Amino acid sequence: MRRRTFVGTLGGGAIAGFAGCLSREDTDDENGDANGDANGGSNGDEQTPDPEPENPDLEGTLEVVSYESMIDEETAAGPWLKEAFESEFPDAELEWTLLPDQGINYYINSAEQGESIDADVYLGLNIDDLVSVDDNLAEGGLFRELNTDRIERSGRIRDGLDMGDPHDRVLAYDTGYISLVYDETEVDEPQTFEDLLESEYEESLLAQNAQTSDPGQAFLLWTIDAFGEDGYLDYWADLEDNGVRVLDSWNDSYNGAYMNEERPMVVSYSTDQVFASASGHDLSRHQVGFLNDQGYANPEGMAIFEDATQVDLAYAFLDFVLSNSAQAEIAERNVQFPAVEDEHVDLDDEFDEYAHVPPEAVTIGYDDLRGNLDGWVDDWAREYASQ
Amino acid sequence: MLYLPTGIVLTNAVVEDGVPTLAPFVEVLTDPFYFGALADVFADPLAIGEHLQSLAGWIAGISVSLTVVFSVPLPSVSLEIPIPWLAIDIPGVRQGLFGFTAYQAALSTVASVAIGLPAAYVLANYEFYGRQTLRSLTILPFVLPGIMVAVGFYAMFGRSGTLNTILGGVGLGPFAFVESNPLAIVILAHAFYNAPLVARITVAAWESVDVRAVETARSLGASERRAFRDVVVPQLAPAVLTGALLTFIFTFMTFPIVLALGGLQLATVEVWIYDRIQRLDYTEAATLAVLETILSLGLTYAYLRYESAQTGLSQAASPPPKEALFPDLQTTLSPRRLAILGYGLVALVLFVGPLISLVIGSVTDGSGFTLRNYAFLLERQLEGESFQTQPWPAIRNSLLFGVATLFIAVPMGIVISVLTVRAGRSGTIIDTLAMLPLAVSGVVFGIGLLQGLVFGISLPGGWQFQVTGAVAIVVAHAVAAYPFVTRNVSPLLSSLDPAMVESARALGASRFRALLDIELPLVASGIVAGAAFAFAISIGEFSSTVILASGSESYTMPVAVERYLGRRSGPAIAMGTLLLLVTAASFVVIDRVGGRYEL
Repeated sequence: MRRRTFVGTLGGGAIAGFAGCLSREDTDDENGDANGDANGGSNGDEQTPDPEPENPDLEGTLEVVSYESMIDEETAAGPWLKEAFESEFPDAELEWTLLPDQGINYYINSAEQGESIDADVYLGLNIDDLVSVDDNLAEGGLFRELNTDRIERSGRIRDGLDMGDPHDRVLAYDTGYISLVYDETEVDEPQTFEDLLESEYEESLLAQNAQTSDPGQAFLLWTIDAFGEDGYLDYWADLEDNGVRVLDSWNDSYNGAYMNEERPMVVSYSTDQVFASASGHDLSRHQVGFLNDQGYANPEGMAIFEDATQVDLAYAFLDFVLSNSAQAEIAERNVQFPAVEDEHVDLDDEFDEYAHVPPEAVTIGYDDLRGNLDGWVDDWAREYASQ
Repeated sequence: MLYLPTGIVLTNAVVEDGVPTLAPFVEVLTDPFYFGALADVFADPLAIGEHLQSLAGWIAGISVSLTVVFSVPLPSVSLEIPIPWLAIDIPGVRQGLFGFTAYQAALSTVASVAIGLPAAYVLANYEFYGRQTLRSLTILPFVLPGIMVAVGFYAMFGRSGTLNTILGGVGLGPFAFVESNPLAIVILAHAFYNAPLVARITVAAWESVDVRAVETARSLGASERRAFRDVVVPQLAPAVLTGALLTFIFTFMTFPIVLALGGLQLATVEVWIYDRIQRLDYTEAATLAVLETILSLGLTYAYLRYESAQTGLSQAASPPPKEALFPDLQTTLSPRRLAILGYGLVALVLFVGPLISLVIGSVTDGSGFTLRNYAFLLERQLEGESFQTQPWPAIRNSLLFGVATLFIAVPMGIVISVLTVRAGRSGTIIDTLAMLPLAVSGVVFGIGLLQGLVFGISLPGGWQFQVTGAVAIVVAHAVAAYPFVTRNVSPLLSSLDPAMVESARALGASRFRALLDIELPLVASGIVAGAAFAFAISIGEFSSTVILASGSESYTMPVAVERYLGRRSGPAIAMGTLLLLVTAASFVVIDRVGGRYEL
């Protein structure tokens, strides 16, 4: 696709017409099978996926897709990962690709249209992305079933960070927890979801639109976990009566409304104090609160594309990401919690001090999300937006 | 480039599994969530009696009562003035998503016109220091990405914002401007975007009013007010209505602003289209988009019919003279000048406030003044990796695409304008279709581009039609921009006296020569206004650019701003400030260069 892009741009620019935009599909349509029939392993034909080769091919360019803050923030982990990976595998080169604006949908679309996908690895896959893939493509599609025997360090991953994929396509590499962030000079810490309905917290909470925002959707799922599929809409109706305000994105609610002191509470991440102390903010306005002594865990995973050309390097990369140093750097630079058990990662004391782990982590797993997620979000949004 | 991607998406609404169907329309039209009370009418259009009955019940529910309300008591002054108030109690009607969207768009349009017209009046009639620069900058809000405006509004009007800090200095507040009435703030934000648009289009028309016609009316005994009403107003009306129409269409399709400032309670149709597309439910998205487009195009058609009925006023480029705004102290204290000063203050708070607050935000952090955000940009430029977004390529691409857009959109807009003005009644339909880029939701256009051009369309014989990168971006920008050129040029062109062209032709000029020497100079102010819009559209365009620039080097300034928005906003706001400065400088240049041709 990249070459065609280049030819298209060059031709279009030179001739200033559409002449350069026509290209001939010279390969056979070999990506049609991305939609599932390569996953023979899942339908009865029990054979180990990607058996380990005698001499793995660790040369060449590995293309890794990730989201912006992984590669493009002040302290992003991406550049570090690239350098460290390349020094460990001297014949390899790691090339970052910025996740297109449509996120996982871009790749779902590509697969539906039979476009080949150039990238080898996807770093930053959520459970709901996986559900989206399987709800839209044939089950088990888009990514390869992993042979975890080839990823030595996969055993280090903490219990509870299993992403629940029945087709074993994804491994967690870090996790964040959704929690409340509040201003202790204005409100007391709410202990439970019911507390938020008290008059004390009237017009004090900022949340995000579950249609458009990751933490917003996580908070909604958290309420579904707490009140059940039949009870969550009632809870939200009560929240609305108590004046919750639902803005579009984490950015609007946090950098816009919360930082401008519109309200004393916002749905955010339990790692908030790490940023707040780094930016020199007063920590009294950055207290982390866990409702019901819980936090909603959003594990982030990595997976290898079905179409990957550098399969051996991709396996090596997955293993590398779970190494001690990589886990520490990702955690501290991206301000997320490592995916491995404590003994396999050394974190700075400062990180331990400011990044808070909830007493109990909750997540709605793959099985429950499958086929339900869209409906839950849709019902919630209709209830909420109806005039 | 426009019809193809749009067509691809819209086909989803009427074709299901290869079979044409109207089922999605029926479903949406009869869903009270979308159409509120109207849904019943759509569901059973023949039960007229029943509908009339419920209408009568509703009308009977309206009551008018005289009450006395107290003006907003200020916390520190606690001054209460009783004001008699006619309270009209209207029983609630379920508006549905479409109803609410139209309602807020109508309010936003009224606000934009009310705030834009005084600005046009001042800019067109008075001379003061910096007038030309100010006129150039009226277009600035137009290029700001929605998120920047939202952050700017919070920084200005928020509880700890600039305005409350100022008011706190004189012992007032703090007021919860944003919190207490989100709808009002959203409407103000829409006015922030669109009032300058109304002002700009109106100024262009006002400056081409033939002052001799006013003088003739006056010499025939018309009072100043009468001359204004009978001579000037008819010439301004098409421009004001163009501004109002564009504002309505834009605010009808608003998306980021309502959600960022108002929240989900103020969701619009566009929000649902975006959500449907996110959930890969193209059928419902396309159905909503078709309904939205029909509505905008219908309005456009109605307006164009009106506009073409307004022709026949001959005019020459003899603009009214400008008075000095503040010639001396005594004149300054006249009621009219004081009103202008008052308006200036309001404009300062509404327009300059959010922008200044943004600039302040870029050089401060939690603990005070800092240049860290700019240092980040500089460092990123000097040491950044190739896969990271750098400031300079973004600035360069924005300017390059902007200029390239001008070269396509301005001739295209003028040609369409000339064609439709000459074509009479059938021209109205062509003109309406030419407005399609404005009437199609940005989200739909973006997704159409993705499916139709980025992924490529298979043609027979194994050929693949595919457009990506810079060329595609420029074409997308030009398509979005040319209607502005047309809309700025058409009213002027249609009110030109055909006799002038005919004389030129009779004296031996070719048709092209006549266009070049007679018509274009007379509509130059419209062309310059249109060109500025085209440039602004290109600089500010986000939704298709971000899709077309995915994974390539063709990102622009707004895309860079969005990319820098991670968990902390500092560098993004700094990049946004750069966007402001670069764009402001470009507009001053465009208007100054263009101004030379205005005579």
